[in-house]
Amino acid sequence: MKSRIAIAATLLGAALIPSLALAAEGGVEERGTWGALLFYVINFLLFAGILWKYALPAAKNYFKDRATGIRDTISKADAAFRDAQVLANRAAERMAKLDAEKSQISSDLADETVYQIGRIYDLAQESAARIKRDAEISAAAMAENANRRVREALAHAAGRLAGDLVKSNFEAADQTRLVQGFVEKLGEEAGR
Amino acid sequence: MKSSKVAKRYARALMGLSSDHAQLEAWGVELERLARIVDSPEVAAQLESPAVTHALRMQALGKIAERLDLSFPLRSFAVVVASHGRVADVTAMAESYARMLDDLMGRARATLTFAYPPTDEDLARVVDGLAAIAHKKIIPTTKVDASLVGGVVAELEGKIYDGSLATRLADAERRLSG
Repeated sequence: MKSRIAIAATLLGAALIPSLALAAEGGVEERGTWGALLFYVINFLLFAGILWKYALPAAKNYFKDRATGIRDTISKADAAFRDAQVLANRAAERMAKLDAEKSQISSDLADETVYQIGRIYDLAQESAARIKRDAEISAAAMAENANRRVREALAHAAGRLAGDLVKSNFEAADQTRLVQGFVEKLGEEAGR
Repeated sequence: MKSSKVAKRYARALMGLSSDHAQLEAWGVELERLARIVDSPEVAAQLESPAVTHALRMQALGKIAERLDLSFPLRSFAVVVASHGRVADVTAMAESYARMLDDLMGRARATLTFAYPPTDEDLARVVDGLAAIAHKKIIPTTKVDASLVGGVVAELEGKIYDGSLATRLADAERRLSG
């Protein structure tokens, strides 16, 4: 800030001093061209000295700072560019990998699908065989059950019929014969 | 089970009072009569009532024995049973006594169930057949059960001898039904 104020004051002074010199021209008696030239030369030298003393370091500093700033900016831009390059490379790698991964997943999915289809087919075959076996067993059991029921019904009917026949035709002699048979069995039992 | 053991002990004690078979038989008949009276619902209800005192129960059983005109040993037996609070076991005692007496006399009781009322000849044949098995004299109790259809069923010493037509028909039916 101070250097800027100094620079501004120097430039303003350099601009006003020749004006003062010119403004005083009318009041000075003309003494020839060499004196005026010397005045201008001295004036110029003063102006140049002041510039050399005050404006040049400030300008140097300014340009130096500016160059440093530009270099920093360029350096940062380079770094950012490199980072972007790295990211771009990574993205490219990822894209390449993504394609490989995609094809791997696709291949895995195809394999899994084939495996699952095979498994479902096997399970379906097993289920079909089991259903068939169960159906056969059930059918056999139902047939056996039906046969047994028919046999039982027939036996029951036959038994009832036989009982009715025996009752209707039973005579005293039959009872005597049954008792005789019973006594013979008792005799066999006693003989053991 | 406990009651049965007690009844056996009392029956054995009564039997030990004499070795005269005729007297033991007579006591058996008397004990049977006493058991029948004591076991009748109206008498049993009175004797087992908590309102009747022990002394009154003894006195009542003594009077029952007297009314039944039981012999002295049986009257004493009845009073002893009452004094020990075993009136409810008199029927079991009579049964145990009858079994012991049967064993002593070499006889067995059999229940014969006929499909039709048996002739004397049929009854005698069945009794002889059972006697041959048991090697004892058989005292039969006869019943008639028309559901047997024909033949006879005998129960002797806990074993059943089945000669009925109903059982044969049932067997045939079972064989037919497989």
